[in-house]
Amino acid sequence: MLEARAVSLDYATGDTVAHAVDTVSLQVPPGSFLGLIGPSGSGKSSLMYLLSGLKQPSRGAIGFEGREFARLSAGALMRLRRTRFGFVFQQHFLINYLTVLENTLVGAVQPTPDAVRRALALLDRVGLRDRAAARPYQLSIGQRQRVAVARALVHQPSLIFADEPTAALDQATGQQVIALLADYRREMGSSVVVVTHDPDMLVGADRVFHMRDGRLN
Amino acid sequence: MVHPLSLSHFYLRNKRKIIPVIGILALAIVGVVVTDSLLASARETAYATFGSYQKLILVAPRATREQDLANPLAQSLSRLQDVQSQVQAISAPQGLDAYYAAVAAIPVRLRAQVPVMDRAEQDAAAAQDFGARLRGDLAPLDQLLRRVQRVQTEEAALTALEVQLTRNPQDLAPLVTYLQQHRTWLQSVLPAAADLGQLQQAVVGTSADALGLQQSLARLSADAAALAAAGRSVPSLPPPPAGPDLGPFRASLDALGRTLNAFQAPQADLDRLLSTSTGLRGVAFAQREAFSNLDINLLAGNAQFDLYGLNPAGMQQLLNLYGDRVVAGRLPQPNASEVAISQEIARARNVWIGGQVGNKIDELDSLPDAFTVVGILQGPTRIGVVPYQYMTQHYLFERRYEGLVVAPRAGQEGQVHAQIAALVSGKPFRIFDWPYIKGKIDSLIQNLDTINRFLILLVTIVLSLVVGLLNNLFFRQRMNEFGLLAAIGYSRLRLIGRVAWESLGVTLAAWALGLGLGVGVLAWFNETFMVPHGLLMNVFNWRLLLEHTLPIPIMVFLFGMGTVGWQLLRLDPISIIERRD
Repeated sequence: MLEARAVSLDYATGDTVAHAVDTVSLQVPPGSFLGLIGPSGSGKSSLMYLLSGLKQPSRGAIGFEGREFARLSAGALMRLRRTRFGFVFQQHFLINYLTVLENTLVGAVQPTPDAVRRALALLDRVGLRDRAAARPYQLSIGQRQRVAVARALVHQPSLIFADEPTAALDQATGQQVIALLADYRREMGSSVVVVTHDPDMLVGADRVFHMRDGRLN
Repeated sequence: MVHPLSLSHFYLRNKRKIIPVIGILALAIVGVVVTDSLLASARETAYATFGSYQKLILVAPRATREQDLANPLAQSLSRLQDVQSQVQAISAPQGLDAYYAAVAAIPVRLRAQVPVMDRAEQDAAAAQDFGARLRGDLAPLDQLLRRVQRVQTEEAALTALEVQLTRNPQDLAPLVTYLQQHRTWLQSVLPAAADLGQLQQAVVGTSADALGLQQSLARLSADAAALAAAGRSVPSLPPPPAGPDLGPFRASLDALGRTLNAFQAPQADLDRLLSTSTGLRGVAFAQREAFSNLDINLLAGNAQFDLYGLNPAGMQQLLNLYGDRVVAGRLPQPNASEVAISQEIARARNVWIGGQVGNKIDELDSLPDAFTVVGILQGPTRIGVVPYQYMTQHYLFERRYEGLVVAPRAGQEGQVHAQIAALVSGKPFRIFDWPYIKGKIDSLIQNLDTINRFLILLVTIVLSLVVGLLNNLFFRQRMNEFGLLAAIGYSRLRLIGRVAWESLGVTLAAWALGLGLGVGVLAWFNETFMVPHGLLMNVFNWRLLLEHTLPIPIMVFLFGMGTVGWQLLRLDPISIIERRD
């Protein structure tokens, strides 16, 4: 389980301090689907960065499976992200000189035969099995984002963070991406945290938190 | 399966970006390899050309080193012919004698009134006397000069006969007989030391008398001017004869005198030096020798290759000393204008057996006349030998050095050098040995070496900047890749390591390619140009190649990695993730 206790994230801008995240407490139980929704600048992405260990909170504590991030070394935190978390961002961030399959395997800890099998299965699942040898520039935007989802799932993470994964996609493709994440959660029992400004994408979520001015409502 | 972030994927999938960088670096390395090797070749060729000094010490008279290429004998003779006719002219019926008679015939009464007339009579008498003495000098001097010149002419005729004999072997007997008679005659008329001494005296006397005549004639002109100034006209007194310009003639005589002194003076000392050197501790052998030079191209400029004038035993000793051997033809005969040279020198001069070298063939050769190549030598050291006997019995008035070669035993060079230096101290000799010659070569090459090092530094700096800039541009294009990898858990050190390996691979590939291409170009150049011209090039001088080319990939790598690594250390993955472009 991922747990945040009264975490805040402050930004100093000149003499004033802005609170991107203001005293937020939150729990992400195993196998849950959490949605974070709110307008631009409400602090939902910042909260996701804190929850995923990409940023250190100004105050408060975050822990995963009983281990507090603040007590982990930088290397241990990296390993945690690398092995236990999966990430889907608004942009696909595929590497142009790698094939679809190789891009998927970038998410794997090692390209073992098992990982390759999983990658191919995931590509099959996202409807891109036959494009495994293609390069990202040969795919549509929606296809690229589906590869990004496959890359986030290939190492079978316990917790998946998706930051505006559908923002650059049309409604139908966006729904497909969210459905992929939801299906994976069901099958693997992993947790999913989706940050979005589109409530339609959180229809299947267990809980949806609304954020405004850095606070959860 | 290969890791998707493996180096092989990176290199194979980014060929279009990597190959130009490798190409630029490789070409620069080719340039460095070629210029470096040519410079090293210039040095090595120079060392090899003068390598004979590594095992011997040459003791040479200082004076002969200062001799001019001009032949003072021929110059003196041509001036003498002019002076003879001019001196005859002032002794003609209207000349000095008539003037003296006219001055002497002036009545005593008149002379008492004009005292300057007495001086005029004395001066006219002196001029008459110097004129007569100079006429007396010129006849034997002419004879001596002509005799020596005849020797030289006969020498040329002998060479021509030898050539004829070689070309017409069918008619051997009469020619051989003629040649033998000619040689006997030639040896009989060779100027002995006494003849040379006589010539030396005649030259000094003639020069002094020419000066006396010139001064007397000048005084006659002054007397005539004084008479005119006194206002007394002496109608019966003719004008004094105009004096010939004896300045150039005296200059030629003085040059001839210096030459005679130069090759006369040190000979006795040389004999003493030879006998002393032979008995010195650590000396393998010492030989009297008459050395000369051939002009050869050393890549970094022309140089005079030393030919050792030795007797047959000395030639063999020299070959044994260096481990050289005759691979074609034979060693020169004692009484022939023949030369044997190392094959590299033969190539450099584009000659082989039967070819000719010498001042007649190339005016930059100090080897006089034309010598026929009769032997080609091969071995670790480039040497050339000419016969001592022939050299010392011919070309007395050509540029010619006589000296001494002293070969120290291995490991005793320093000790022998010190002893020889002590022996020649204060005498008109100087020592030429390996430290001296090497110093000269090094100072010649040093400037080129400095320029070369500066160019390498410049190339390294420019390449570091250019390739570093390209690396940075390439890195910026890949910011999304590094941002993603950092976000999903790849450590910065791992990312820096990855970029380092990528960069190292590119620079090492460029270095290896540049080195390979450079060595290939050098090997081709060596075969097609260097070897045929007798120039030395070590195509695979790995130490030099590594020393001068490795700084380029290292600097390029360090500069590129420094800037990219710094950016990676400061990389904030969130700033990349949040970009909405």
